[in-house]
Amino acid sequence: MTGAWRIGSVAIACGLLAGSITLRAAGAPGPQAPAPAVKPAAEAFSDDVHAKAGLTCESCHGPKKADGGYAAIARVAIAPLCARCHADAAYMRKFAPQVRVDQYAQYQTSVHGQQMAKGETRVATCNDCHQSHGIVPVRDTRSPVAPAHVAITCARCHADPARMAPFNRSPEIFNEWSKSVHADALLKRGDRSAPTCSTCHGSHGATPPGADSVANVCAQCHVREAELFKKSRKAEVFAALGQADCLVCHSNHHIAPPQASWIGLDDKALCATCHDESVAGAAVIKSVRKGFDEVLAAIASAGQVLDRAETAGMLVEDGKLALHTASEAHVRMRVLVHTFTAPPFDDVVKEGLAAAGEAQAVGDAAMDELQYRRRGLAVATLVILGFLATLYIKIRRLPKVA
Amino acid sequence: MRSWFTARLPLAELEAAIRHKTVPQHRHSIWYYLGGMTLFFFLVQVVTGILLLLYYRPSSAEAYDSVQFIMTRVPFGWLVRSIHSWSANLMVGAAFAHLFSVLFLKAYRRPREVVWISGVMLLFLSLGFGFTGYLLPWNEVAFFATRVGTDIAGAVPYAGDTIVRLLRGGPDVTGATLTRFYGVHVAVLPAITTALLGLHLLLVQYHGMSVPPSVEERAKRENRPVPTMPFVPHFALRDLFGWTVALALLAGLSAFLPWELGHKADPFASAPAGIAPEWYFLWTFQALKYMPAHVLGIDGELIAIGAMSLGAMALVLLPFIDRNTARSRTIVTWAAIAAIAFMTTMTVLALTGGH
Repeated sequence: MTGAWRIGSVAIACGLLAGSITLRAAGAPGPQAPAPAVKPAAEAFSDDVHAKAGLTCESCHGPKKADGGYAAIARVAIAPLCARCHADAAYMRKFAPQVRVDQYAQYQTSVHGQQMAKGETRVATCNDCHQSHGIVPVRDTRSPVAPAHVAITCARCHADPARMAPFNRSPEIFNEWSKSVHADALLKRGDRSAPTCSTCHGSHGATPPGADSVANVCAQCHVREAELFKKSRKAEVFAALGQADCLVCHSNHHIAPPQASWIGLDDKALCATCHDESVAGAAVIKSVRKGFDEVLAAIASAGQVLDRAETAGMLVEDGKLALHTASEAHVRMRVLVHTFTAPPFDDVVKEGLAAAGEAQAVGDAAMDELQYRRRGLAVATLVILGFLATLYIKIRRLPKVA
Repeated sequence: MRSWFTARLPLAELEAAIRHKTVPQHRHSIWYYLGGMTLFFFLVQVVTGILLLLYYRPSSAEAYDSVQFIMTRVPFGWLVRSIHSWSANLMVGAAFAHLFSVLFLKAYRRPREVVWISGVMLLFLSLGFGFTGYLLPWNEVAFFATRVGTDIAGAVPYAGDTIVRLLRGGPDVTGATLTRFYGVHVAVLPAITTALLGLHLLLVQYHGMSVPPSVEERAKRENRPVPTMPFVPHFALRDLFGWTVALALLAGLSAFLPWELGHKADPFASAPAGIAPEWYFLWTFQALKYMPAHVLGIDGELIAIGAMSLGAMALVLLPFIDRNTARSRTIVTWAAIAAIAFMTTMTVLALTGGH
């Protein structure tokens, strides 16, 4: 590779990076993260974790050239250059005893790393995600790879149709994820444990999980669901059909909050995609849907009456506790649905209905008490009105004043 | 027994005074009963307030729960709390009606200037009771309404920030504000009110009921005295009738519209929609909304507060502004009608969410 080509490839990479930053700033859909400010290299490096560790420009760029500047580093050389230190456990231990040193090995297994090894320099390398001269630790919230920013960092390339077209990749993944329950948890509720791109695809070893490993990926968090699914008959059926387990019902990036309406044999239900009334499991599907509908209706009804009673000033702590138990049962039902059988599910439905019924009873009793008070006061008002009438008659009978 | 008391207390003189006391009787006499009704609501407030004091805990951690405890665990606590809340509103309503009836009947004229001034001050005190008492249950609506209400004081130039801090006990509405409001509500305001109310009632008895100018002039034209009725039993029974109407109203409202507690205040939550002060502050709240940000370079909110302060000042000094001529009386009447129309329109607009 000639020097001119190296400089050219770095210039193209920087141009593409700057272009993608501009695209985000122009209001591409989805959540926004602070776009990394493009500072002059020296200024950015002053706040770099490497500068704080005592490294200098020469540490990466080598000695100055005759014109006083530093040589640019070719994109294909960036990862090996970083690995000189970051893959050296003995060296890294001096700065951070517990820091991992397998990033380069992982990168070489990733789609990015494999393409780069083939000389495809348009794929990501270290500085595309971590920046070049203003690198901060991942735990620093300013980092482009901090949990809240990872998706947007990936989206700089993966949401760009022009960049994705040559690789035959969809640029819609980021938009789909942005509407998911995971994005809601991470970006709206600030739950740092919620999954972002790297949680499922890996970070340095970023690779799409294959159909046979999807359940394992989801099982990182959804342990119980995956356990039940793997023991179910569905696992065998999906494996035989070559279908990607969890994705069949939940999709991959646009993972919506699960709804009871997904279950059933009507047109809108997901089950109806494969099943109809003629299959043996139709009764189970209907029974599971009925269980969800009944428990959800009971929880909603009890919740309403408890809220009304509490707003009116009644103490309904026992009812709220029972409602909480019913909600827990509903969560367990959502887990147990992955057995695709009736017996353990039906037992939890009974528990949920019993708890919601208890909550409803507390709420109803509180509302009855309110009505009782109201009737008592209505009677008192009538007595007062009777006294008023007597008083009026007495006043009328007073001797007239001359 | 009677002789024992008669020897030590001026009971005979008091009895004679009551027997001989008369009250003017004319077509506007019905307005005389509003003062008694306001006093009745105040007495209800004192009694129910003392009962609530037995269980209420004035801290941000316990206030809401203690009111909930009163409403659910204390025998008839729900009734006491509901009556206290409704009576507070009815007292302010009766006080406003009393003030305007006295104004329209021109009862503030010489020699009743001090009666008028003490009455206006009592109305302001009842608004103070309402403002400080509103926060005490520490529920969501009260918390944010107090934040908005105390914010208004910040518009006062130079001293605004200090006033807000003084009201809140810090830069924001917190438990310190609650404790402060509680102290003012149960100690400072009742002490001042008791003294002023004593003076007001004493002067009303001393001067007797005022006769409206129109009634006086008519009696003069017809060369006859203004008719009167004995205080006991004629006026006293009618007053008792008014008090009983007030009691029936209280019982009816508490029965059919029990005062709710709402949700516990969460200072870290965002303000829910529909935050509004009590109905008697709504007109100021709405009027402030209509003020432009700046008028001739002066802060709009400051102008509104200045105008309201001037209005309050004019109300206090009304006996000295009205020179008691037919023309000045007409001006006062129309100014009062305009003020009522403005306050009513603003209140209706605030209630209907109009702009």
